[in-house]
Amino acid sequence: MSQANTRPKPFLLPDYCKGCGRCVQVCVQGCISFAKEINPETGMVPVLLDLAKCTGCGLCIEACPEPYGLRAMEAGESFELQDPATLFGPKRSTAPDPVDIPGRTIPLPAAEPLVIKGTYASALGALLAGCRHVFGYPITPSTEGAELMAKLLPKMDGFYLQAVSEVATVYHMYGCAGAGLPCMTFTSSPGFSLMLEGVSYMIGSQLPGVFVDIMRGGPGLGNIGPEQADIKLACRGLGHGNTHAITLMPSTPQEMLDLSYLAFELSFKYRSPVVVLADGYLGQMTGRVQLPTAMIEPGLPAWAVYGDAAHRKNLHTSVFLDEPTLEALNVKLNAKYEAMQAEARAESFQAADAEVLLVACNTPARASKGAAQKLRDQGIKAGLFRPITMWPFPIEQLKPLLANVKQIVVVEASAGQIEDELRLALSHAGITDPPPITHIQRYGGVLPQEKDVVAHVQNLMGRA
Amino acid sequence: MSNAFYGTFERHSDGKGLKGHSTHYCAGCGHGLAHKYLAEAIDELGIQDDTVAVNPVGCAAFLYFYLDTGNTSTAHGRSPATAVGHKVANPNAMVICYQGDGDLAAIGLAETISTAQLGIPITVIFINNAVYGMTGGQMAPTTLMGQTTTTSPDGRDRLTGSPIRMAELIAQLDGPVYVERVALFSPAERKKAKRAIKKALLMQKERRGYAFVEVLAECPTHLKTTPEKAMTWVKEQMLPIFPLGVKKDANFEPWFEMPKLGFDPTTLLKAIGASSEKPAGFCKGFPTHLNPTDISLKLAGSGGDGAQTIAMLIAKAAINEGFDGTHIPAYGPESRGGTSYADVHVALEEVHNPASPHPDVFVAFNAPSLAKFGNTVRPGGIIIYDNAVAKDVKTTDPTVKVIGVPFTDIAARLGKMVVKNIVALGALQAATELFPAETLLATLRDTLKDKAALIPLNEKAFAEGAAAAREAMKR
Ligand code: SF4
Ligand code: SF4
Ligand code: SF4
Repeated sequence: MSQANTRPKPFLLPDYCKGCGRCVQVCVQGCISFAKEINPETGMVPVLLDLAKCTGCGLCIEACPEPYGLRAMEAGESFELQDPATLFGPKRSTAPDPVDIPGRTIPLPAAEPLVIKGTYASALGALLAGCRHVFGYPITPSTEGAELMAKLLPKMDGFYLQAVSEVATVYHMYGCAGAGLPCMTFTSSPGFSLMLEGVSYMIGSQLPGVFVDIMRGGPGLGNIGPEQADIKLACRGLGHGNTHAITLMPSTPQEMLDLSYLAFELSFKYRSPVVVLADGYLGQMTGRVQLPTAMIEPGLPAWAVYGDAAHRKNLHTSVFLDEPTLEALNVKLNAKYEAMQAEARAESFQAADAEVLLVACNTPARASKGAAQKLRDQGIKAGLFRPITMWPFPIEQLKPLLANVKQIVVVEASAGQIEDELRLALSHAGITDPPPITHIQRYGGVLPQEKDVVAHVQNLMGRA
Repeated sequence: MSNAFYGTFERHSDGKGLKGHSTHYCAGCGHGLAHKYLAEAIDELGIQDDTVAVNPVGCAAFLYFYLDTGNTSTAHGRSPATAVGHKVANPNAMVICYQGDGDLAAIGLAETISTAQLGIPITVIFINNAVYGMTGGQMAPTTLMGQTTTTSPDGRDRLTGSPIRMAELIAQLDGPVYVERVALFSPAERKKAKRAIKKALLMQKERRGYAFVEVLAECPTHLKTTPEKAMTWVKEQMLPIFPLGVKKDANFEPWFEMPKLGFDPTTLLKAIGASSEKPAGFCKGFPTHLNPTDISLKLAGSGGDGAQTIAMLIAKAAINEGFDGTHIPAYGPESRGGTSYADVHVALEEVHNPASPHPDVFVAFNAPSLAKFGNTVRPGGIIIYDNAVAKDVKTTDPTVKVIGVPFTDIAARLGKMVVKNIVALGALQAATELFPAETLLATLRDTLKDKAALIPLNEKAFAEGAAAAREAMKR
């Protein structure tokens, strides 16, 4: 009897009761009863407590689903209704405000150039950029990058995980990036299609991550030959919603390394995914690759949900049911996309006085460069404009070249996806009367060749 | 109340008014209890700071309104994949997947099973209330036979499938350390539920493995009944299909340990095989006799002939000599015994076109390769082929030089068929004088530096291939 008296009795603020009756059901003493009166504050019908016979058994407290529903009354507390603010105190969270832990740049000893394939170069770029977490699902022709990572990462105490699918892959990245660490995947066209939902979530939750897509022939299962038909995915179709990502287009094994390395920097700078698009040829191609002069040891950003005291208050989410809040996020994303315009990059070759300007990326840019040289030998003023970022399109770099240009020729292994980006960029830049644009396109695993470009231009210039 | 709950639910409509202290769940919903037991377990294990709660899509999408821990909200079904990402990023994090039945057992089934099998220590709390709550009462994978929902209006039947028993399914996998199904309808069951959730977290804290707790929960709203009747329904209707109890309780020793990430530049350079030693050069100049600035080669055979290996070697040798070199492999129907061919370029300055549609030099290991590419060789080009397997080769273009060398016979005589490609490389060197022999041999030795015992045999194969080619050219 005396024990029953010392055990705390339940206490309830009617405002926090939903009247579910779980407590009513367990009280053998019949202390708690359903009521009829609707609480005007909540629209609920809170239960009534009459604790005369209460033994303090606590069963009702355990049964209450509400965090601030039934609770044990501490000694000295009274039954009187109290102001919730004094009862529960103001905000109790002791979580600190997180701060950025900066990374560091570590100088690398000089090394002789390596002779490696594009996917390997990309993997090394990621390793040097501080990436120690790689997730992926095998798909030709990107698999070698993943295989190399599976081999090398354990040596750097990193981690390669083969996911159950590309869908799982992108959410492994979502989690790992959410923890604030650089991570990446190697994939190829059908796999990239599958990842796009997750890319949209990453953009919405503002998480970094690098996607290296070695584009192959499509649509559907297509083939494993080289193509450039994922440009529309990266530039115009990164899943649902208002999404964009910086899209890098390497054209040599060297650039596979350099741009993969850069991708991590940009990805963290903007807290957003970055896409590296290479064609199947480039992924497989072996060439000369010079290592950079420094490598990165990443820090830990303030926004990470790392799973420690410093980052406890953080939340990653892309769900905002309240329209003004979601609109505000979109406005913020738009500002970020605007800022990304400054990352537009391009390279030109013999373009300053060119009358025929070839526009090409990836391996077709190499063929076009060769063609430009051959055409010059024949007295045709040909040059090459090679966007290194396809989004944002380097329109500012293109504009000054247009003065002498009489013909633009887009050389690509897709049905006009580069040309679409070019035309859109010209139009947005207010260039309403660009030089005539023609194209050389191959599809289905075939790349345009140097001789195709030469023949097309000769034809165009009436030299055939 | 538990410290793992926020004092004020500020994220719940800015915590204004009553919402600052009440959940968004319907009266009698099982989620509130599961949250409470989870929060209490977090308190009792002292893991609040380490916890990362992966918020699902479903009625519990706003777990982060309440739990004062790290929170990540992810896509429908992707909680386990997201959780694994968090866990491998920080192995000390306590990662919790809180999922409903649609999330875990329908759209996310592949991730659920593969993560359980992986066995990495994370804690999965599975709320099974036999219906889709958030989207308004549609059929769930755990909906009972005969149960009416908005998408099984006449009751679930054979055509809509039968309920899936996740706890049993998960328990038979190797990865999980602990699997239990609990319920919330009575004081005794609630006690077990709380204990199970705490144990599942403990299994993670002690690095023992993946733990899974299925909680049979009430959704009175979509059962269209009172909270009380919902409890009875769970007890009477769900229990026969979803029996309660421990489904697996293995005795795994703590195993999950991950090293601290490495950022030592020397280790990295060693791992990637970078060297600071400049390779020796032997070339007097660019082999302009083959092409003034850019020589294209094609090497073709069947999968096991080693064409890719020597193609790579030639590209490497070119770069060692200070030229540019590229190699592109192409395989026929995958790499299983189909045709395999390599395009190689050696350029004075820069390779522009890495493909070799009209090679200056073509090396063929078999007759099909010859048939396929023999006629693509440019006028005045050179074909070197294995005349042990292809006989009497002629080209339509009389300007193309054709040199037969018995790669296969020589390799067989040397007792190792794998050196067939090195015989071919020797023949290529002698027939084309692309590089001095020493250039290729130095690269070959470098490639074999970890298997030094093989070097003499390879050198012999190279020499015999070269000698045979010289002999053939005399004829
Ligand atoms: S503590 Fe026990 S006796 Fe008292 S009201 Fe609650 S259930 Fe009834
Ligand atoms: S269990 Fe809690 S919410 Fe439900 S009726 Fe009792 S006090 Fe109210
Ligand atoms: S709909 Fe069902 S599961 Fe969702 S909150 Fe309401 S009772 Fe709970």
